[in-house]
Amino acid sequence: MGFAHFWLSGFDQIRTSFWAYLLVGLQNGALYAMIAVGYTLVYGVLGLINFAHGDVFMYGGFGAAFLTRGILGSSVASGWATVGLIFAGIAMGGLVSVGVAVSVERVAYRPLRRRHAPKLAFLISAIGASYFLETLAGKEFGYGTNLFPAQVFPVGQTMFSVFGTPVRTLTIITVVAGAATLIVADRLVRATKLGRGIRAVAQDSETSSLMGVNIEKTITLTFIVGGALAGAAGFLYSLQSGIEWNSGVELGIYAFTAAVLGGIGNLRGAALGGMVIGLFGSFAVPFAFEGNTQWVEIYTFLILIAVLIFRPTGILGEKLGRTA
Amino acid sequence: MSQRWNKAVSILSVGALAMAVVPLAMGTATSSASSKPTFVIGVQGPFSGADAEYGDYDFGGATLAANTANKDGMDPFIIKIEKFDDQGSPTLSPAAAQKAVGTKNLVAIIGPAFSGASESAAKYYKAAHVAEVSPSATAVALATSGNTSWFRDVADDSVQGSADAKFLVSTKKVTSLLVIADGSFYGDGLAAVVAADAKKLGATVTTETIDAVNNGGSGVATEYPTDATQIAGKDPSAIFYGGYDADLGLLLGALASAGYSASSHTIMSGDGSNVAALYSTDTTPQSAANDVYLSESATGKVSFFTGKLATAYKALTHIKASTAIYAAQAYDGTNAIIKSLLKLGVKSSSSISSLRKGIITQLHKVNFEGVTGQISFQADGNLKDDTGAVAISQMQNGVITFVTNEG
Amino acid sequence: MTFVRLPQVKRLVSIVLVTAVVTLMTGESGNATTPPTTGPHGAFFERVSYFGLFGARRWMVFLTIGLLVYGFTFLYERYMPPVRRKVRTVTALPMRLVQKRTSRFAMYAVAIVILLAIPHIVTQTYWMYLIVEQVGVWILLAEGLNVVVGFAGLLDLGYVAFYAIGAYTTAWMTGVLPAPPFLHHVIPTLWVIPIAVLAAMAVGVMLGIPTLRLRGDYLAIVTLGFALIVDDYVGNQNGITGGGEGSLQVPHFAIDLGFWHYHWGIGPVPYYYLCLIFVALFMVIFTLLEHSRVGRSWVAIREDEVAAESIGINPLKYKVMAFAIGAASGGFAGVLSAGLIGNINPTMFQYQASINILILVIFGGMGSIWGVALGAVFVQLITSYMDNYQPWGFQINDLYMYIGALLIVMMIFRPAGLMPSRRRKREIQSFEETGEGHLDDVLTVDDS
Repeated sequence: MGFAHFWLSGFDQIRTSFWAYLLVGLQNGALYAMIAVGYTLVYGVLGLINFAHGDVFMYGGFGAAFLTRGILGSSVASGWATVGLIFAGIAMGGLVSVGVAVSVERVAYRPLRRRHAPKLAFLISAIGASYFLETLAGKEFGYGTNLFPAQVFPVGQTMFSVFGTPVRTLTIITVVAGAATLIVADRLVRATKLGRGIRAVAQDSETSSLMGVNIEKTITLTFIVGGALAGAAGFLYSLQSGIEWNSGVELGIYAFTAAVLGGIGNLRGAALGGMVIGLFGSFAVPFAFEGNTQWVEIYTFLILIAVLIFRPTGILGEKLGRTA
Repeated sequence: MSQRWNKAVSILSVGALAMAVVPLAMGTATSSASSKPTFVIGVQGPFSGADAEYGDYDFGGATLAANTANKDGMDPFIIKIEKFDDQGSPTLSPAAAQKAVGTKNLVAIIGPAFSGASESAAKYYKAAHVAEVSPSATAVALATSGNTSWFRDVADDSVQGSADAKFLVSTKKVTSLLVIADGSFYGDGLAAVVAADAKKLGATVTTETIDAVNNGGSGVATEYPTDATQIAGKDPSAIFYGGYDADLGLLLGALASAGYSASSHTIMSGDGSNVAALYSTDTTPQSAANDVYLSESATGKVSFFTGKLATAYKALTHIKASTAIYAAQAYDGTNAIIKSLLKLGVKSSSSISSLRKGIITQLHKVNFEGVTGQISFQADGNLKDDTGAVAISQMQNGVITFVTNEG
Repeated sequence: MTFVRLPQVKRLVSIVLVTAVVTLMTGESGNATTPPTTGPHGAFFERVSYFGLFGARRWMVFLTIGLLVYGFTFLYERYMPPVRRKVRTVTALPMRLVQKRTSRFAMYAVAIVILLAIPHIVTQTYWMYLIVEQVGVWILLAEGLNVVVGFAGLLDLGYVAFYAIGAYTTAWMTGVLPAPPFLHHVIPTLWVIPIAVLAAMAVGVMLGIPTLRLRGDYLAIVTLGFALIVDDYVGNQNGITGGGEGSLQVPHFAIDLGFWHYHWGIGPVPYYYLCLIFVALFMVIFTLLEHSRVGRSWVAIREDEVAAESIGINPLKYKVMAFAIGAASGGFAGVLSAGLIGNINPTMFQYQASINILILVIFGGMGSIWGVALGAVFVQLITSYMDNYQPWGFQINDLYMYIGALLIVMMIFRPAGLMPSRRRKREIQSFEETGEGHLDDVLTVDDS
């Protein structure tokens, strides 16, 4: 297949199925954005790549799946029950993830902060926490288990069509929930006192504590916000693909890439980065050589490397300072 | 400082000591109280990781055969079945093979279960003159290496693949076919055969590779929705998936969401997906797995255990016999080895290495009616009667139901 | 409220929580065919009995053990310090003797003799194979990463890419990849070693030049991304690298010098000796480097890059050198693996392997050549042992749970590693005490 033909056929596929690709890209993008926020906030405040964040996401997915299965069993919900269950799933996912995130902070990071450990120690501890959490989930729930939540709406259900392409309920729910939670998180960080505390600590922790900001509480809050979003994303992700013990691993890498792309430490940057990665991952599929979809992953990381080399602060610029 | 050094040194030395002692301890064999010698038949396959079921099925089948033989007490020996875990991976397979070969009293192997693992383990078994009877390694290339100690009591992918292609193009009259491979040794091989044969039969064939998420693949689950979008856009009239059930399930779910279902189109896959888990746990919604065609590299009717053997298998392993793919082949393979041992005439002075070589010779001559068909091997290790019909089934309402023979 | 904050109560709560986690960790595993709650449920509620005397549920047993440990901690606090002091005085003299130069040479000599004799001690082929594949290869990888992370202080999370390049170059040059070998001429496996090593080094240089200007964390991400790209690329280039299956027919090593030829067969012992030679070689080279001008430049860059630049050291040049030299060891490990296992496929080179290598380096003691080697031996042997004998129904997959927990504990109590180099240990201690630093990419954030 000639080179030109390859590119032309790729663009042609996009032209014919544009809306389908866009919708899937938005759906994936919302998920990446939600997870990326956790990475970016923790990095902004602690200067730490929280390797365990992907597993926080995974536990949220399991928690929400258990809840919905417990309530609904194998029946299919509709109408108000669907709405209720979606809220319940998101809430449960968020709750479980927050629990895990805060535990990780208490067990793996706080003792190191107390000892003023070097940054590498934090990184290794993060890796250790990640390995521990993943394998524990795999052991307890089964390494081969792919758990789906109950059918809170008929899968494959479409709500309306746009330009001839059916829009699935799941896509709508994911994008709407993602947008809502991101906006809430953004408001929290920008407008509330606690949120300002986060930004203050990120900028200059010593002065912040002199000004009366409770550093420990702020750090915990950072993990809570990141965890809640990741847990919600876990539930939404599991509706499409189910949750496995290692669901958080690759997704975590993509989400972290998104955070860096958007500007580490910058919440809006993380959201933007997530959307970019999601959309790019979708529209790049027609351009995978020989129909091998791993090329999409390669393209994504090439872009990441290029951005880091030529604009290391990311698209929206980073928001960092010296940290604890 | 010195205390920490002390601790480190003592830990390391204790560890080193333990490491040194253990292999020595391994050498001591426990002598059996009974007068009959015990021989070990190993089962190499995945016993951990995502594919652990395959290994368990084979182990169950082999154990059933061994228990039956031991129970009637007529044989001058006792058979013990041992597991050797390679996680289905060709990289871990050499280690498992060497462990098996080094096991005292091991006379033959059932397996390796996966084709890639078979390929990389072959030279170790060959060098140790240990016969391998694989119940499920279907890659065509395995029989062409001139390895005289390797056998398989299952038809290879050229048989399965060409039967699949024939079913799709000639029987189901498919005109445009998309063949998807999952990037594994097995999946790529099967997909290649199906694509080539379907093209020969006149269908328009396009190929694609979607890297598996499970089974050691490096794909990401979020790619399935995007790939499904692309596939639904191209709208082939049929899809053949070369790969395993866990990823097929993800693909089916994504396709269903994108509006492409097995009921409106034709979706087919091979023996790697021919397990009950495809419906029960792998696919959401489960209904997306219905109407999917599945083939099995079996000659004749579906070759799961039936009747008394099925009951016995269930009692032994708590697994439903109709879901335990290739357990019956493992059962037949074990019986082939036992029959070879009987033919050899075991004496208390028989050395294990002479037994191993003897088994290889005898396996080339064995000929009996097993559960899965006539067990008799060609010189290259394939079954003599492997050109028979391949069993095609369909997932109907959650149950894999036999449809027809093809090929 | 004050009751809850008492240290004794806090300790009780932590011990109970830890006990709960341990109960989960050692309990029943779930699997795909049983409902997902089976695992945790079984972990707590499974019945256990002791000598048929009485039965109890697991959580009762573990809670009892936890409470006993809690009581024990009080005894420990009271009675241990004098014992520790006694131990220290008793071991002081032998410790000093061990550190003398002559005793070190004696220890080296004994070690060499033991290492050479190992194939005769370990008679099981399987264990010899494991020693080369699980221990030998990983020592090489850990030593190479130690140069990058330990000496030059560069946080490289993608080291496995060099391993992959070494392995795939071997396969390519020996003609077992779908792509035809360079100049269409198949090269015997042993001669591929220098070529593969050079290829890995070249890639190290090419990767390093644009990226080593980046700050520590960004370097980590870039190297991680690079490793993922390499893994993906070799994984999907069916026509060039054999795709997901890789190559299953890498030939074993062979030397044919006309008057003398030797063929490495499938037995691991010849590989063991080859590995031993190269491990010794690399360790010697790295030790010489450490004490050379290059090594001192690395220390200077690690401690204060700006100051180093001001006295004329070019940081980029030395960082790239570290990358390249570290890559050499990784590349050779790739060749050795390919020849030993006889097959390569992309699953060997996933990024988790980079993390595992990093764990070995950290565990053994970053920056210490012997520490890293011994740490690698220790961890890998324990891993192989657990995998093969599966005490207490241990599953290999669960291993990472213990490793993860061990890492967290280690970072809290002994971040320098098992046998750290003295310099590194001083750096870490001084950082902990004063909070002041040095612009080591690995140890702290470079804010300039």
